[in-house]
Amino acid sequence: MANEKVDAVIVGAGASGSVFAAELSKAGKKVVLLEAGPDWQLKDLISSDLWGRRIKPAGIPFLLEGKNPYGYAYQAGWGVGGAALHYFANFPRYLPNDFKVKSEHNRGLDWPIDYADLAPYYDKVAAELGVSGDAQAEEIWRPKGAPYPMPPMKTFRNGDVWVKGLQSVGIRVVPAAVGMNSVEFKGRPACIYDGWCHVGCPIGALANPVVTYLGDARKNGAEVRPHSTVTRVLTSRDGSKAVGVEYYDSKKEKQVQEASVVVLAAWAAQNPRLLMLSATDKHPKGLANSSGLLGKYMMAHFASGTWALFDQDIEPHMGTVGAQYMSYDRYQKTSKKGAFGSTYIVAGTAFKTSDLGGFANARLDLFGPKLAEFMQRAKTGITRLTAFGEEMPNIENRIELVDAKDEFGMPMAKIVHSFDEDAVALWNANFEEGLAIAKATGAKEFWSARGNQPTIHLFGGTVMGTGAGNSIANNYGQTHEIANLWIAGPSLFPTEGASNPTYTIFSVSLRGAEHLVSDWGSIAG
Amino acid sequence: MSEVERRALLKGAALGALAFTIDGGSAFLSPRQARAQGALFRTLTAAQADTLETVGETLVPGAREAGISHFVDQQISAPAEEALLEARILNVRPPYANFYRAALAGIDNASRAHNADRSFTQLTDLERIGLIDAMRQNKLTGWQGPASPFVYLILRSDAVDVVYGTMEGYAQLGIPYMPHIAPEKRW
Repeated sequence: MANEKVDAVIVGAGASGSVFAAELSKAGKKVVLLEAGPDWQLKDLISSDLWGRRIKPAGIPFLLEGKNPYGYAYQAGWGVGGAALHYFANFPRYLPNDFKVKSEHNRGLDWPIDYADLAPYYDKVAAELGVSGDAQAEEIWRPKGAPYPMPPMKTFRNGDVWVKGLQSVGIRVVPAAVGMNSVEFKGRPACIYDGWCHVGCPIGALANPVVTYLGDARKNGAEVRPHSTVTRVLTSRDGSKAVGVEYYDSKKEKQVQEASVVVLAAWAAQNPRLLMLSATDKHPKGLANSSGLLGKYMMAHFASGTWALFDQDIEPHMGTVGAQYMSYDRYQKTSKKGAFGSTYIVAGTAFKTSDLGGFANARLDLFGPKLAEFMQRAKTGITRLTAFGEEMPNIENRIELVDAKDEFGMPMAKIVHSFDEDAVALWNANFEEGLAIAKATGAKEFWSARGNQPTIHLFGGTVMGTGAGNSIANNYGQTHEIANLWIAGPSLFPTEGASNPTYTIFSVSLRGAEHLVSDWGSIAG
Repeated sequence: MSEVERRALLKGAALGALAFTIDGGSAFLSPRQARAQGALFRTLTAAQADTLETVGETLVPGAREAGISHFVDQQISAPAEEALLEARILNVRPPYANFYRAALAGIDNASRAHNADRSFTQLTDLERIGLIDAMRQNKLTGWQGPASPFVYLILRSDAVDVVYGTMEGYAQLGIPYMPHIAPEKRW
């Protein structure tokens, strides 16, 4: 079934898709968002680790391969708001050294933009959706920018206990920048520090897309079609432009949505898969893929966590799931001898009992009465320090179509992912430093959260660059080969830094969306 | 699952309780209540449910009475997109019933292979602890099924969920739950 042609169809109603929808609808464009999952409302966000799992995907059309298979489900989105419906809302920026890794170290890739290009958009996003923090304090590590619109969040003993330990190894900390309200902001209430951020904040104190950009888009008239799974981008006979998308609606009936512009904002793994599924005789390797780099350079963060257990009551249940303190003092790519890549450090977070991040998992080796005894001690004394690490882009980490089919008869894909020696070395080095920090806190017990090296966040697959020979899209997200086919989200990132990515996703998306609006006449098909 | 059952399930989701079958009808209960009232299992066999309860109790004291088997059975009988299982966020591919059947068979087979053909439920407490500890460390020779440390992780998580992950569990542990939107029935 064909639907009336619209100005823009956006595939995915998460962080990046919501920004494009807000900007385009604000400019008067008729916008449709096609979202594979449900149309969650704030009242659906039950404060429970168990019930909170409903807003995450249950099986995706991807197989997981490699030495370090990518673990998607805890952090991926399903439904409006995407992963940002349940994200931790840590809002560190990328730093200037993230954008020129190839030029400065002959490693990885360069971004086709630098920090100065993106800095105004960090400030705009902060002003639009609300960021709490101390921008001036952060400027020991980055160029000056606008102040954040809200003061820092409260800290609690579970965060404060780390400060002395961090300082003992020369690590400075400042209040963590977070996409949460320390005070009322634009009619959204202040946070009440109950620690349920990770299952969705139903009061709107946390800046998820539903209460920010997607809400704005809806007010501007953008239409969201939930339970709508896009299977292909449709192109003109000569292959020169996108004409719309094919999708299956909530009744599993095939539909076509024609549009002047198509924006893929469907997640870092799904964007390349959709471009591959859209291959034609004019684009036999997939759309926008003359470089052969479609699906390549998939990247993930990893974390080295250090647990500490105190005798005194440090209120582990208090706070947010976002960080209380942050530091870029190990962000230089060569900070750790024998390793390569940035490290971003956070301390202080609220803990619940269960789920992947719950404190029952702080000692996975314990079970039975020993676990019960540990839970009694941990309920008042547990805390954790986390060091996020950066993986360099590796062409072998990739998305590929496979023979198996999804429920719509479309080929599934596999995500192949392995950490290289540098990433493993950085992970180990951060554990070592974490123990030194914990020792200096005076904690009664401390230990590393070792297990399989975790894969956190997902990047790459449709990287941006300077031309069709080295990338899929330009610095705005416009594909090099089809002017009205755009890509949004972390699949564009040539390198991943070590910072939590969503602030940068919002900012890169806003920069791209503004450009699309300003050049609409020459872009729209 | 029939449309009537699905509607009942969704109603349960809205309330924050789970739908169980009792006396031929549907009731919204916590797994603890479902166990106490003898709710029927839909997918697990009686033997599988017994094994799961015994494993769960070994992993987390209190998991049996908290209704681990009723919880898992109810969850694997529902559409995957409704599931509240930790398996969902640990990348287990639906249908989740396949994982649980294979995991429980793996445990029972390992028990019989290492303990003179006795099932896991027939072991002494000490023997159960030994087997679970070996499973955790991937030290069970001849293990068949999903990787044994992963089975340990999933079943331990289920047991933690029913004992510590609920409002009732927080109250028993003595820490504030502080919900914005509370689940029904303190569950």
